[in-house]
Amino acid sequence: MPLRRPSRVAALALCFILHGAWATEVASTSIRVGLLSVLEGQETTSQWASWMSGLQDRLARHHVEFLPLDLQQMQLAVQKGELDFLVTNPGHYVDLETRFGAVRMATQTAVDSPNAAHAVGSAVVRLPQRAYKELNDLQGAKVAAVSPDAFGGYQVVAALWKHEGIDAEQGDVTMVFTGFPMWKVVQEVLSGNVDAGILRACLLERWIHEGKLKPGQLEIVGRHTEGDISCEHSTPVYPGWAFASLPHVNPDLSREVVLALLSLPQENDGTRWSVPADYQKVHEVLKTLEVGPYSYLRQTRWDALLFKYWPFVGALLTLILLGAFYTWRVEVLVKRRTQELRRSLEKQKHLAQQIETDREALDHLSRLSILGEMSATLGHELNHPLATISNYSESLQRRLRAGAVAPHLMQQALEGISGQVDRAVRVLGGIRELARKRMGQRKPCVPHEVIKEAVMLFRGMQTHPPAVNVTVDMRAEGLIWCVDALQIQQVLLNLLKNAQDIHRACGREDAEIDVVLTRSPDRLVLKVLDQGDPLSEEQKGRLFEPFFTTKSSGLGLGLPICRTIIEAHGGALMATDRDGRGMVFEASIPIHDAAQESC
Amino acid sequence: MAQAPVIHVIDDEEDFRRSVMFMLNGFGFDAEGYESAQDFLDRMPDLGEHGGCILLDIRMPRMSGLELQRRLKDRGHPFPVIFMTGHGDVEQAVQAMKGGALDFLQKPFREQALLDVVTFAVDVSLQNHQRRQQQEDAQSLLDKLTPREREVARGLAMGLSNKEVGKELAISDNTVHVHRQRITEKIGSGHAADLARLFLRADSQGLDAPA
Repeated sequence: MPLRRPSRVAALALCFILHGAWATEVASTSIRVGLLSVLEGQETTSQWASWMSGLQDRLARHHVEFLPLDLQQMQLAVQKGELDFLVTNPGHYVDLETRFGAVRMATQTAVDSPNAAHAVGSAVVRLPQRAYKELNDLQGAKVAAVSPDAFGGYQVVAALWKHEGIDAEQGDVTMVFTGFPMWKVVQEVLSGNVDAGILRACLLERWIHEGKLKPGQLEIVGRHTEGDISCEHSTPVYPGWAFASLPHVNPDLSREVVLALLSLPQENDGTRWSVPADYQKVHEVLKTLEVGPYSYLRQTRWDALLFKYWPFVGALLTLILLGAFYTWRVEVLVKRRTQELRRSLEKQKHLAQQIETDREALDHLSRLSILGEMSATLGHELNHPLATISNYSESLQRRLRAGAVAPHLMQQALEGISGQVDRAVRVLGGIRELARKRMGQRKPCVPHEVIKEAVMLFRGMQTHPPAVNVTVDMRAEGLIWCVDALQIQQVLLNLLKNAQDIHRACGREDAEIDVVLTRSPDRLVLKVLDQGDPLSEEQKGRLFEPFFTTKSSGLGLGLPICRTIIEAHGGALMATDRDGRGMVFEASIPIHDAAQESC
Repeated sequence: MAQAPVIHVIDDEEDFRRSVMFMLNGFGFDAEGYESAQDFLDRMPDLGEHGGCILLDIRMPRMSGLELQRRLKDRGHPFPVIFMTGHGDVEQAVQAMKGGALDFLQKPFREQALLDVVTFAVDVSLQNHQRRQQQEDAQSLLDKLTPREREVARGLAMGLSNKEVGKELAISDNTVHVHRQRITEKIGSGHAADLARLFLRADSQGLDAPA
């Protein structure tokens, strides 16, 4: 981990100096030091020749080799592990520190500043006749600089602009990059091609000192007074160039180099190697410009956006998470409710099935009870064919015993017998059909036929059936209903039987029963009218109550079941007083759309 | 060929009625069918000298068998009546017997039972017929007598002597004697026993009450 705090670094360095005597001797080795060349290769070497030779002298046991490299070359060399140490500008150092773990060991002080932390700044120069006073005034102007990678030569100023909302990259300032050496910038400014030029601080003073420029030939834009630097500058000042080691270097060797560096005398120009400075401010410049280690910031990658907008992203994520949680919660609740609903539906279905089963059982019971109530007449009914058959057959036997029987007599007897067998079969079939327990099967059918069959069955089961008058109202003609014919017949049989019982009870056994089919707007109405004595109000009120009966032999299930059957057909069964005498039982059942074939 | 007794079958069930008639024919009876009590009343057959009876269904629509029985009785109809009952008509059968029915057959009945009861009924009808014939004969003989002659004959039939009859009727012995001769001429016998039989044949209670 790179040490950042100058005090600590200084303390460490001091330790090295004080205890240098005990430093472990490192075997003789070849040391390769990369130098960032901001000037022409040769010039760099000559410029720094003084401290380089001093270092070589102090590390005489080793073979120290200095390699002037430009930015790309240096990066490539570091990547390949060809360098042990490197000397580079603050911006580049921070980049390499972040990317390759380079650790600074010393910072170079500036020509005019004894403080290594205040070594590098920028001076923006213009021809005196140009009116720009502050850096911000250069918005929209044409400005020259050496390279976008130059720290003091460009980045420091660009970062300052960006802070003020002026983005040189977006064209707020028209940059002209001249390339090294930095003199080219001065040439551009002097020629008037550009409005201003960016120089590393102190270069201007040096060139004036060297006689390359006349004092007052160029003026400073946005003079900055902060910092321990004596030359004129337009920006805050930053630590100087860094001497850094790469991670693979033996720590003992590093210490040897540091000691050597720090023990070098001050150069003629006043620069020297000092304890490493804090490069945090440099980080900030690079971050503002989104270059070097922070170049990822300018990529529209999710992680970049995330880094840039993390509060929003965080809020958004929180919202999404909250939303997801809410959705999940709702989902869980819905699932739970759905399950509860499904359970209750199943329960209901189960109940409905049970009710249906019970209803069928009751239905069956009622049919049987009707049978029971009619059994006397049914017995009589079966008795007749049996008696008739017996009569013919016994008589035939007698005649045969007495001698030959005339063919026509034989014919007569046999016809009589087979006729009665048919009749008995019909009666039994009717009973079986009535008694058979079965699921309802609804089919569209013609009401009149259903009624006719029921009346025939009713009369057919009795020797002396009462007259039943069936009337079909004109309005009901041609209409069909969708019913289980047998169930409706059962209802009608029940109603007819009731009418007959009522007539019997009041001694009018032969009274006629009227059956009328008519229609209400959307229903077919089947009425059974009797002529019995009026019922009491209490009796009327309890007619449809199960197990209520006025008959000694009745179960009291007939009418309740009739009502259930009619209601199951979507209709209603009611009892009203008849005009004059008797009751009207009225079953209304929806009319079926004749256009539809099935129910 | 001698005329057969006629059995009148009254039943609204045509098939059954026909089968009963078929059986009766098999026995050698003549059978006549009626579809209702009213039909019988409308046609009202005579009881011939060959005898016969009525086979009557007890349950019929409109006029029931019992009702017909009552009406026939009111008219003094001489036909023996045999009821045909269904299962469970016991109460009505009892009523029918009380009303003077000869017997009843519960449907379905065996041929032999029918034969027995019908044969018996025919006998009864023949006896009835005979009795009726005798009564009619006796009555027509008695009808030939004058009222006074009948009074004398009644006295003699009760076993009184001429004298006692004269005293009873406040007439002389001779007059009684003359009446007795007339009676003998008209009836063929003046004996007290013959006269008594004649009176009783004409009217079984004819000698009970005082004249």
